[in-house]
Amino acid sequence: MPMLTDLEKKVIAAIQGDIPIVSRPYQILAEAIGIPEDTFLQTLQDLTDRGVIRRFGATLRHQKSGFQANAMTAWQVEEDRIEAVGKIMATFRAVSHCYRRDPADGWPYNLYTMIHGRSEEDCRQTARKMSEKAGVSTYELLFSRRELKKISMTYFTDAI
Amino acid sequence: MAIEIDKLDKTILNRIQTRFPLVPRPFESIARELGTTEAEVLTRVTRLKETGIIRRIGGNFVPGKVGFVSTLCTAQVPEDKVALFTQTVNTFSGVTHNYLRENSFNVWFTFIAPSMDVIRDNLARIAEKTGVKRILNLPATHVFKIKAKFDL
Repeated sequence: MPMLTDLEKKVIAAIQGDIPIVSRPYQILAEAIGIPEDTFLQTLQDLTDRGVIRRFGATLRHQKSGFQANAMTAWQVEEDRIEAVGKIMATFRAVSHCYRRDPADGWPYNLYTMIHGRSEEDCRQTARKMSEKAGVSTYELLFSRRELKKISMTYFTDAI
Repeated sequence: MAIEIDKLDKTILNRIQTRFPLVPRPFESIARELGTTEAEVLTRVTRLKETGIIRRIGGNFVPGKVGFVSTLCTAQVPEDKVALFTQTVNTFSGVTHNYLRENSFNVWFTFIAPSMDVIRDNLARIAEKTGVKRILNLPATHVFKIKAKFDL
């Protein structure tokens, strides 16, 4: 179990939302949790170096930045080829996520890719190319029909 | 809805998706890199935020490294139960993404919690409350890719 100090939890809670778009955003965030700006920045740097923070920066709305369509694609891959197939699929620029997951009863798929495109046809075309390149012919494109919820996880809200 | 963004907007968006500077004046640091002024970057980022192209600027964490687990779940939800099921699932603060998708497994959501036991318990409660029997818990066993940014 990873150990985080109370200070680290406070800093995580402070930056999991939206930083203010002002000249010195960290000063405002640091002040809100009662620590000096340089301590705040040092903690942030340390969390980044340790890989606790996967990415620090802007998250865009794909729909508004030109990537209108997305398809979660579930692939059925022979288990002994999954390492090679996963690596090939990860090389596609249109693929944002690629995970192996265990198959389940009535759901035989074991590899998942999130494919982004300008249109659904664009996503289908990418999936066909992936299928050919990786040699996997059994797959399903699951287009999103409605966004039911999309938030960022909130950790340690009671740490502040 | 098409929102006009010019070359500098795109350059700024490409720059700020990753490695946002951890210095007292991050926007000034970005401005210097891109050969413009802090005021210009602040004005443009504010506008890109207001128009909704930027969802947020902040940290994204590896659940496992903050002591949490994450998983992907899906359920076969009959049309007349989608509203109840969605409402029930979305109550959980650890459910961060939830989509209606085109498949017999039509509802897909991500779940983050302190342990897999907590998630299993919650899925059982969701099944009980909604009468939806087919809920699959599909935790990732290997990550091949998580893309950090979208080049514009």
